[in-house]
Amino acid sequence: MLSGENIVKSVSDLLHQLYAMVGLSAFKGVLDPIVAAHVMFGFISVFVMFLVWMERKVSAHMQSRIGPNRVGIFGLLQTVADAIKLTIKEDIKPVHRDKIPYYIAPIIAFVATFAGMVVIPFDKGMVVQDLNIGLLYIIAITSFTVIAILSAGWSSNNKFALLGGFRSAAQIVSYEVPLVLSLVPVIMMTGTLRLGGIVEYQSQNHWFVLYQFIAFFIFITSATAEANRAPFDIPEAESELIGGFHTEYSGVKFAMFFLGEYIAVIVSSAVAVTVFLGGWLPPFAFLAFVPGFIWFMIKLLLVIYLVMAFRWTFPRLRVDQLMDFGWKVLIPVAILNILVTGFCVLFFGKGV
Amino acid sequence: MTDLLLSQIKVNDESQFGTDDYVVNLGPQHPATHGVLRLIVKLDGETVKETIPVLGYLHRSIEKICENRTYPQCITYTDRVDYVSAMSVNLAFALATERLMGLEAPPRAQWLRMIFVELQRLASHLLWMGAFAGDIGALTPFLYGLRERERILDLFEMTCGQRLTYNYIRIGGVMIDILPEFVPKCRAFLDYFEPKIAEYEDLLTYNPIFLERTKGVGVITPEVGINAGVCGPSLRGSGVSCDVRKQQPYLFYDQVKFNECLETAGDCWSRYKVRMRELRESVSLIRQCLDRLEPGPIETKLPPVLKAPPASEIYSRIESSRGEMGIYLVGDGTVKPWKCKYRCASFNNTYVLDQLTRGWKIADIMAVLGSLDMIVPEVDR
Amino acid sequence: MGAVGHYFSSIVMGFWNLVIGLSVTTKYFLRMKTNTQQYPEERLPLPERSRSMIKLIYDGEKDQFNCVACMMCAKACPNSCIKLEGVRQPDGKRRVTTFKLDFSTCIFCGYCVEACGFDALTFVSEEYENSVYQRGSLLQDEQAMKWVRPAHLTPKTEEPAKVAAPAGATAGA
Repeated sequence: MLSGENIVKSVSDLLHQLYAMVGLSAFKGVLDPIVAAHVMFGFISVFVMFLVWMERKVSAHMQSRIGPNRVGIFGLLQTVADAIKLTIKEDIKPVHRDKIPYYIAPIIAFVATFAGMVVIPFDKGMVVQDLNIGLLYIIAITSFTVIAILSAGWSSNNKFALLGGFRSAAQIVSYEVPLVLSLVPVIMMTGTLRLGGIVEYQSQNHWFVLYQFIAFFIFITSATAEANRAPFDIPEAESELIGGFHTEYSGVKFAMFFLGEYIAVIVSSAVAVTVFLGGWLPPFAFLAFVPGFIWFMIKLLLVIYLVMAFRWTFPRLRVDQLMDFGWKVLIPVAILNILVTGFCVLFFGKGV
Repeated sequence: MTDLLLSQIKVNDESQFGTDDYVVNLGPQHPATHGVLRLIVKLDGETVKETIPVLGYLHRSIEKICENRTYPQCITYTDRVDYVSAMSVNLAFALATERLMGLEAPPRAQWLRMIFVELQRLASHLLWMGAFAGDIGALTPFLYGLRERERILDLFEMTCGQRLTYNYIRIGGVMIDILPEFVPKCRAFLDYFEPKIAEYEDLLTYNPIFLERTKGVGVITPEVGINAGVCGPSLRGSGVSCDVRKQQPYLFYDQVKFNECLETAGDCWSRYKVRMRELRESVSLIRQCLDRLEPGPIETKLPPVLKAPPASEIYSRIESSRGEMGIYLVGDGTVKPWKCKYRCASFNNTYVLDQLTRGWKIADIMAVLGSLDMIVPEVDR
Repeated sequence: MGAVGHYFSSIVMGFWNLVIGLSVTTKYFLRMKTNTQQYPEERLPLPERSRSMIKLIYDGEKDQFNCVACMMCAKACPNSCIKLEGVRQPDGKRRVTTFKLDFSTCIFCGYCVEACGFDALTFVSEEYENSVYQRGSLLQDEQAMKWVRPAHLTPKTEEPAKVAAPAGATAGA
């Protein structure tokens, strides 16, 4: 049967034979993660290109336009063309930049979000490394982007970029709290931080979105804010701050910020799918013949569509209202949700 | 001029070691400013301490050009004063000249003028709605607004051959009669358009983020508004009745039924509401005008040489899409105006920008600027 | 309790209005109906009255321009972008010899076409791609503006000369 576990098993068998042929079997433990990371990198690069295309198509059809349709069928290769354009573009640098942070910032922005992908289970057993603190790891590693954005804003020696950097620092620090708080009830119910374990729990019960509807929406909202997406895109608010923190970046460096933003969307949507929408599980038992990773991708695209629809429908919040919304609405509601869940777990037992 | 302004900024320093302001230039090249308006904004963190609008980047001295052209030739330049509602400025100049010379357009021409000016008001408000929503961060209403605006421009192009600079409303009438298929097409457009207004309202009016951004922001109190000469929908949002169509009816505005849209709060949301309600009012106005359109001549017989009476002057005003559009003309017995002055709504509306944004956040500058509906060529002329 | 109730009801109402907004955009997304006109491939016919390009009408049967160089168009032009000269022919009628229109200053107001009393100038709607690579090529002469009226188009019957310029100010036929 075609399933993620079988694919991973056959591929790793093949790899181990390859190691044996070149006599590297002793380094199996080191080489396996490296290969897996490279596979993940390739997958993510292609997927981000697809997402950029999808975002442009979704926004176009929402606005009764056509969107890209020139390069490739349905314009699918448009993003490839854009990527080529960005790489061969002149790299314009501000003269009075602060050199080291200026160069490091895009790298951190990309790496920090990409590292989050490592623990996402696409199917049963189809995961680079199913850490037992997976959820905590994702939250910790993705919040590194704030350093990237702050240093980008500081080092480009531009007033708008600096404002964008500070806005971003305030925003990401604030929204980290409801993000974590919205995940706490799930952890309370499952008793594990391992993403695979959370999905397995859901396979025995219902999906968490049925129990934790409020937590799901708090998570989606804060994740959108974490990824600096509209309506929470104040660090790069075009109508106020031109480009915000990436005003002074061009070429490949800009592409890395861009990539980082999309990977952040993928990571947070993937966490939402894994934690609240049952990960690789089919919606009904009789649909189980469809491989799990296909279900995962369908759910992932639906969540990403939702995030895109947010961006193209809603206006942008102001910086102080953004803080108000985070601290005065999301956090109290999330805490209340934890309280109610705690009582439920206490009285009705772990299985709800 | 720039250096002068920048030197003024530093005057407030109390001591040599005092903190300096964080000064940013919004414009003339900035993705959000309308046209080439430049705002020097003094910030304290995110909070705005002062906003200094710098005008003149689009100054084309249209008033002076008009003093060197004959009266009919001036009409082509009025198109360029406010390119988003060129018909209104056409009408303003044509009416001023007619009043100066004691002419009057035949009834059919007047009805046609009303139809086109109200259609132009729809087009202008649609573009405004899109730009305002775009300033606040919602990008989709802009496309929806332009989509409907294109259909209005199609109606204009069908009639007079141009989409932006019409030169349609002439002294003593209109340029050319409408085609027979215009009336059914216009009705079809109105039927198509009316449900769309509800759609824009669904997208924006009660959207909590939109409410947060606009409610209570940039309040123009009636006193401030009247003292600064704010006019049009921006002042009607403060509850001051200032619609020239009601106060001093021109054309046949006294023969049709319409309401002056008034809101009381005076904030950005009220100004938005006024304009959205004006869309509906304009639709009903156009329907009434189409009903009462009767065949007849479309222009009065003009004298072969159009000369103003010697030592004559006139101030004539109409309600353009942005507010009171006044034309002051002084004739000296020749074919050219001796003095031509445009009183544009946007110029006065820009005047209150500093008062409205002081103490608010930098993002509110965009919301307030958008809600005032300013067009830079109208400010600079 | 009122404040707490208001707090929660405002959250719920705000959420509901967000859903209404999302439903509008999703409706358009699912409908997949576009209003785009893909220009170089799709070309909409412009309305007949479209003021796209000014042409000098050439009478193929008589092998001459209709223009009699009465200078009405040059007088009506707000930007003085029309320059023309004419000479008296042996049959006693004036004919245009050189006609220059500078399209870089022309604003397509239509006064010249309206002022023309001899059916010599016209707007054409089919030629609207007026961009050029050199500014100099915008200065068109009578050969560039030559246009023979197709058989299916009849001359305009409405009376011209709505512009308040002195009638018959220059020598005509």
